[in-house]
Amino acid sequence: MFYSIISPLLNSMPGLSGYVFPNEYELHWSILIVIYPYLTGLVAGAFILASLERVFKVSALKPIYRLSLLTALAFMIIAPLPLLAHLGHPERSFEMFLTPHTASAMAMFGFVYAWYLMVVLLLEIWFDYRKDIVIWSNEKKGVVKYFYKLLTLGATDISDKAVAFDHKIGRVITIIGIPSAFLLHGYVGFIFGSIKANPWWSSVLIPIVFLFSAIVSGIALMLIVYMITSMVRWTKMSMKCLNKLAEFLLYAMLIDFSLETLDFIHRLYESEESISILSEMISSRLFISLIITQIIIGSLIPMLGLVFGRFGKLPDELRRMIYFISAILVQVGIFSTRWNVVIGGQLFSKSLRGLTTYKLDIFGIEGLFVAIALLVAPIGILWVLTKILPPWNEMGAVQKDIEKMSSSESA
Amino acid sequence: MSKIPQQVIPIIIILMVVVGAFIAARNIFVPESFGEQGHFRTEAIQENMDLEQVYAGADACYDCHDDIVETKSGSYHKGVACEVCHGPALQHIDAPDEFTPRAPRERGYCPLCHGYNPSRPSGFPQIIAERHNPGKACMSCHNPHNPLLPHAPEECAACHRDIASVKILSHHATLPCTQCHTIEKGHKSSPKFTKAHKPTDNSTCEYCHNKGSNGNKLAPKINAEEHSDRYLCWDCHYPHYPEAY
Repeated sequence: MFYSIISPLLNSMPGLSGYVFPNEYELHWSILIVIYPYLTGLVAGAFILASLERVFKVSALKPIYRLSLLTALAFMIIAPLPLLAHLGHPERSFEMFLTPHTASAMAMFGFVYAWYLMVVLLLEIWFDYRKDIVIWSNEKKGVVKYFYKLLTLGATDISDKAVAFDHKIGRVITIIGIPSAFLLHGYVGFIFGSIKANPWWSSVLIPIVFLFSAIVSGIALMLIVYMITSMVRWTKMSMKCLNKLAEFLLYAMLIDFSLETLDFIHRLYESEESISILSEMISSRLFISLIITQIIIGSLIPMLGLVFGRFGKLPDELRRMIYFISAILVQVGIFSTRWNVVIGGQLFSKSLRGLTTYKLDIFGIEGLFVAIALLVAPIGILWVLTKILPPWNEMGAVQKDIEKMSSSESA
Repeated sequence: MSKIPQQVIPIIIILMVVVGAFIAARNIFVPESFGEQGHFRTEAIQENMDLEQVYAGADACYDCHDDIVETKSGSYHKGVACEVCHGPALQHIDAPDEFTPRAPRERGYCPLCHGYNPSRPSGFPQIIAERHNPGKACMSCHNPHNPLLPHAPEECAACHRDIASVKILSHHATLPCTQCHTIEKGHKSSPKFTKAHKPTDNSTCEYCHNKGSNGNKLAPKINAEEHSDRYLCWDCHYPHYPEAY
């Protein structure tokens, strides 16, 4: 109410309406903090997708199992970089590991990250590829041979018994990995959800909403990565795998969307003193990124597309196109989810009487170009990883299965 | 030993190396006195104590400048320490003749606290420096050690700038504050002890806005008996900017 009273006075300050404390005019958490939960979510989502094949034996997802693991690793390597870039002084970051404060969620995250990267992802990938690495270390020539020899870590036993052990331990790691992935992204939500002074963030549902949106974004990412890599390599895609991915994507989106709606209704019903400024923010500052991009373009349209594409009687080409477009829209939607959480939480004044505006830098460490570089970097790393550890090798072995699946589908 | 699968051995070795490196790094990089008294380096306290002191503290000034202290202790600036305006003065205590603390006389200095800023509380004296006797030094009218106003403010806006800035945009712009507020004589000279009165019932607004009332004939009219008689007018309408609601 009050902002509408004094807003005419503040026309000289662009982007400001109502009453805003002097230290709230400029946002402190920029686009880099938007990218950080986005990337972490992709890691957790891709890994959870991989675990579906491993633990729950969803055989249709076999073609993307290794690709998912490599994707998770590629994004995991970049995930902490936005934080380091934002905080500055990356040379001090190791101190967080050496003298961690147990009361700091941020400090504890370092260990969650290290655990997830080293114990879960790297170990699982190593055990899964071990047999192939040993074979490559024998087949390849020159420096490459020695590189693979190094990767074997001296374990060259590829007897049936040893390989069976690899599979067994890989499964155990995946089982440990699922709660770890939940912890990894649940933590990111926790960081926001536990800030009780901010009514836009402070909600126990936030970690759960983050987790499901992570799963959504991870599945959509794998759909895109699988389709693009198959197209680039001129190989046939498994329609069964794509259908399964689309199904899981749809189910995860339904849960995610319901949870977010629940959170929204809960806030409306609670109707705390912040509700009027939050409503004002949604209907003005966040209208495009929340209502249009996140809800309509990023959730409702792809959900309709997936229902139509998965359960409608359509030719495979059209189906693939619908899946692809839906997955791209989902990525846009999830990115705006992160944007709306991080930026939205800073657009309204803690006086609950005014709104400010976020102006994205173009250059500089917090700018658009750095953000784009951080989003593109994992794709580059993934390309390198697929050169070192080709995930398609196994696909060659299952290529027959895929063809068999495709022929049985068409029949 | 033979029971441990071959591939587990390098993992165990790497794990041991990582844990060993972590322990070694902690031993090398964590300062010895870290954690003795809390989550910080105990030596840091001594290091801060060893820093060169520049501030003397207000008590030190009182020893010589008791006349100024006496003036200041009864004034609105009694809570403002000497070194806030005069700067670090330990050197002056040590060698009074060789070092003289600064005495800011430029016009930009006082508005650091007294320049208009909407986040400052209403009633705190605030000026718009460009409009407040431009070019004149603050000290030519105000004594900083006892900053009483040279004369009682002519306008309420001198202190209630935030309200005045809103009111001037509204249809109530031409109304004097006294139209609604009763201002007792002492309010302008000692506002903390003599408060201005605010209306307590709807009759103030109804004087102009009730149907058939004697006040301003052009003011929008309501029928006070039918128009939300359970509420006070300012529950819905902000009197200083009534168009907003």
